[in-house]
This record gives sequence, structure tokens and C-alpha cells, in this order.
Amino acid sequence: MTDTKRPREPFAPWDRRSLPGLFDVDETARRVGHYKWLETKLFEAMGGWVATVPELDIKLRLGTHCYHHAWHADLFDKRLPELREMNTDRLTVPPNEKMVEFMETMSEPEAAEMTIEKLVGVYRVLIPHKIAAYTYHRNGTSEITDMPTIRILDFMLQDEFNDWREGEMLIQSMIESPEELERAMLHQTKLEEIMLAAGGVAGAGSIGDPYIEVAEEN
Amino acid sequence: MRKIFPAEELARDSRFIRQTNEQRLSDPRGPRVAGGNASENLAKLTPGLPNGPDRARALMHGIFVGEIQALEGAGRTCWDFEVGDEVPLALKMDMARQCWDEARHCEISVALAEHMGTELGEYAENGLLYEAACNPDPVLRLTGVNRALEGLAIDVFNTMKEFGNMAGDPVLEFCEDWMLADEVTHVKMGSDWLRRLTENDKERLDKALEFQKIVDRLFSFNGFRGEDDDSPIQLTRRFRELAGFSEEEIDEIADMSRDARAEATT
Repeated sequence: MTDTKRPREPFAPWDRRSLPGLFDVDETARRVGHYKWLETKLFEAMGGWVATVPELDIKLRLGTHCYHHAWHADLFDKRLPELREMNTDRLTVPPNEKMVEFMETMSEPEAAEMTIEKLVGVYRVLIPHKIAAYTYHRNGTSEITDMPTIRILDFMLQDEFNDWREGEMLIQSMIESPEELERAMLHQTKLEEIMLAAGGVAGAGSIGDPYIEVAEEN
Repeated sequence: MRKIFPAEELARDSRFIRQTNEQRLSDPRGPRVAGGNASENLAKLTPGLPNGPDRARALMHGIFVGEIQALEGAGRTCWDFEVGDEVPLALKMDMARQCWDEARHCEISVALAEHMGTELGEYAENGLLYEAACNPDPVLRLTGVNRALEGLAIDVFNTMKEFGNMAGDPVLEFCEDWMLADEVTHVKMGSDWLRRLTENDKERLDKALEFQKIVDRLFSFNGFRGEDDDSPIQLTRRFRELAGFSEEEIDEIADMSRDARAEATT
């Protein structure tokens, strides 16, 4: 017979979650607003590209992944009011002008011959940066107070990893000559330079700062 | 990337052959391939018809290219309009969802076409569906695509589902039933957005419904889709009602089809 009066700890021995986190409510809302802006711009561009891409398998993947990012935008949109932002449009903004420039440059290629550039922008630059920023957020925020954000980031990261893998394989299958490799690398470098200036998908501090400040010696 | 991407520039590989509607209607191979869609030869699509299996193969290829264009159209609606000024974000999210659904439909229909012994590119493609998705007014675009064309898809999928049942082909019947469920969702999206976006704008509502009629008329040639026993594609009342069509609206499409047939025989 189970002894129903026998006390147990509120946290099981294997449950090592802790209360402290890197972000307060306002900072979390700020980041979530930037993420929502980014996911929206991304699904819009991927939807627009579908008609411009002649490779049938890639056309279908873009259509599928387009929805993943729209769903992410929707999840972030639903999280904002829970972070005290009732007017969700107010925080649905880019972190800075450089991020606007990044999304414009990434979305620019239209010609049917530019599938490599389209894929490189999304799968070799933007998605890896999103994975980095979402992972930093997921690992840094409070595992108890901000568990709703962690839960949605976990869903999204699963999509991001799967989509990144599919996208990378599509890119590898498209690059068949040194010239195509050169095109991919040039476009990647161009976009990475803008991303560097933006400081990451949520602006400066997107993935924290690993350096230690050292006092100057006199 | 431009806003509003022209139909003639839709990106395709070398297997696809584009045909205008005029070319399609005057193509002498049409009646042979499609099994006689001239009004005097109309017959409900069944496996028992001498040319039934060939007509089903042609129709499946038509579904496949239609799904590609539906995917492209929904994708363009995600891109062509600004959130806030022109459309609500929720509308674009519905279109993104539709992109995923249409991408799956492409996968399903290309696999079914192969299952039926058809090669990709065996039949020509015309860009009529995507052209409706180029309308610069998002309300007209959604009404033309989601209510008229996706409505037609409800009728086509239901007809193909019945064809699969009659032919003893459980794979065809199973897949068509799943696609039919998605199409009802897409038509309902169109009905819901039409109502929401024109709530206080009767003029825009009238324009959108007129555009829907134009598109419906284009796809009712010769009474190809209708309620008569010998209509190749049967108008599906029950699923259209689920998707937000009123009885009067369905009656109107049935009448349009009868008129088109009468016009073709005179």
C-alpha cells in the first residue's frame, strides 16, 4: 500500500533545473520581438522564391520550410503578450539597420539561375546564426520562470536543424563546378559581412560575450 | 525580388511544356487525350469508359501542375503584400500553411501520376491558375484562387476519389481523400478572409465575387464541371458547404456550367 503521507522534495533528485537566468522579462520580450520580425521576413522571402526556382525538389522544400518559419513567427507572436507586450507589433522590429540590410540582400536574388545564392543565404548564413542565437537564449534563460520560451525554442530548433540539413544537402547537390563553388562562397561572405556588422540575428549580444574583461596593469 | 511575378516567367525545368488556353482548346490531340471533353462527348469520368483510364491519367497530370501553380501562388501572396497596410499577418500565415499543403499535394500527385503510368511532362501545362494568383488586390486574389480554383479542386478530388473507389484502387482513393480534406480547408480560408476583409466594404466584396465568377466561368468550359450525370467532373455540394459556400452560390456555379454547356452546343 502506498503511504500517501510520506513527504517528497518538490524537485526530484535528477531535476537540476535552476531559477536564475540571463534575461529578465523585458529583455526576453525584446529578443522575442526581433526573432518574430526575422521569422516573418524569412517565410515571406521563401514563399516568394517558390515561383522563381526551376528545380522541382527545391521548389517543394521551399514551400515546406516557408511554413515552418511562419509557424515560428506565430509562436513568438503568441509569446509576446505573455511577456507583458500586448501590442505585439511594437516589438516586432529588426534589432538594427544592418539586420534590415541583411534581409534585403538575402531576399534580392530572383533569377532562375540563382538558386545557389538563394539557398546559401538561408541555409549557410541565416539558419546557422538563428540556431546559435536560439541555442544561446534557450540555454541561458531561466529553466523555471521562462520555460514557455524554452519549450517553443526547442520546437523551433528541431525544425531549424532538420531544415538546415536538408538545405545544406540541396546546396551540395547544386554545386558541381569550381565556378559554382566560387559563387556560393562569394555570396556567403557578402552576407556574413553584413551579419557581422548586425551583431547576430538579435543584434549585439545575440550569443553573449565569452571574453573576460581584464583590469589594465599600471 | 520583384513584387508580382509574371506567369510567363514561372521557373520550370526542361520537361515542362507551356501551352496557352487558346492552344489547349484548339489542340487536335485534346479530345483524344482528354477523352472527348467537347460538349457532345461529355461523360462522367469512370474506369468503365473506353478512354477512362487515359482521361484519369491526363487529369492527374493536370492536378500535379495545378498544385505547383497553387504552391507558387500561395508563396507569392506571402511575399507580394505588406503586413499591416495591405494584409494582416494571419492571412500570410494561412498562405504559408497552404504552401506546405500544396507542396505535399505536388509530392502526392506526382507519385500518383507515376503510379498510374504517366511521366512528368507527358501533358502540357497552362498557366491559368497562377494568373489568377497575380491579381494585385489580395482580396480578389484569395477569392479567385481559394474560392474558385480550390473549389474546383474539391470537385476534381472528389471525382478522382470516386474513380479510385470504382477502379478498386485503394491508393488513389486514400490519397485523394486526404487532399480533399486540405482543399476544404483552403476554400474555407478563402471564404473566411473574404468575409473579414470586406466586412465594411461592399464594393470590394462585389468586385471579388465578380472576379470569382470570371475564374469559375473559365473552368466551366463546355459544362466540363457540373451537376449533370454526364459532367466529367461532378460539382460537390456537401464539401463546398463545409468550406463556406452558400446554397445559392453552389446553385449559381451549377447554372453557369449548364449555360456553358448549352452555349457550346449551339
